[in-house]
Amino acid sequence: MEQWTLPEIDLALCTHCGQCVAQCPTQAVEMQAVGPVIVRPLDCTYCTACEAACPVGAITCAFEIVWGA
Amino acid sequence: MPEAAKIQALRDIRLLAGLSEATLRCLADVVTRRAYPAGTLIVVEGEPCEAVYFILAGHVEVYRMSSQGRQQVLARLGPGQTFNTVPLFRSEQTNHASVVARTDVTVYTASTGDFLHALRLCPDLALAILQDFAERLAHLTDLVEDLSLRPVRTRLVRFLLQQADESAVTSKWTQDEMAAHLGTVRDMIGRSLRALSDENLIRLDRGRIILLDRAALEAEAQN
Repeated sequence: MEQWTLPEIDLALCTHCGQCVAQCPTQAVEMQAVGPVIVRPLDCTYCTACEAACPVGAITCAFEIVWGA
Repeated sequence: MPEAAKIQALRDIRLLAGLSEATLRCLADVVTRRAYPAGTLIVVEGEPCEAVYFILAGHVEVYRMSSQGRQQVLARLGPGQTFNTVPLFRSEQTNHASVVARTDVTVYTASTGDFLHALRLCPDLALAILQDFAERLAHLTDLVEDLSLRPVRTRLVRFLLQQADESAVTSKWTQDEMAAHLGTVRDMIGRSLRALSDENLIRLDRGRIILLDRAALEAEAQN
């Protein structure tokens, strides 16, 4: 089964500004006491909107570049 | 570390691999092992050049920063590669680019004074440096051609082909990192990736960019 990759969130960098929550098109991420948490991982489409919205670079959506079968 | 092990470690550095035993012994006397945690700024652009570095383990990124804060990544380097040799030979001897540890990194480092002294004593080391500079010049000429003559989409396609065709070690890239590497901004990368995906040349998967049509991508790369 394909690995369900999710955006990585560095809570040490996060300023709790909430931009990722506001920009997520599927409401997969919520702001909690510790910072943003992807509470509905299956709803995350890995669209990278949260990464683009984060003003401090705390969210990372990395891609491997590979050939298809 | 015993000298024999140190010499063997130096022989694993690409730049030094073909050097004589005497030259490697000369270098072994002046290098020091250092470790840097991921995220450490090892070399700062504009600061005096104090040392050259040989990577034993880990990966670094070499980049320049514009006054507007735009980053241009010049190279990603890994084990066996060398950095900060160029500023040694410039009259002002200041670092020409910054270098940051992308992972935990272990290096051998030699002070500029010691390295220049070794160069004067060992002609094979001087020749190896010249060959290395010739390769860097060729790389930078390609980079200039890419940045000045090719649109972002073509640069991106060339980059994707190069990454997918490279060795078994797969590195991961964010869209910001691709933008910094290709001398553009994130929006342009996102737009170009979506266009390539709409044309069925690539597929955007969770955490993977999958190249689908080699012939069409290679034709696009020649533009």
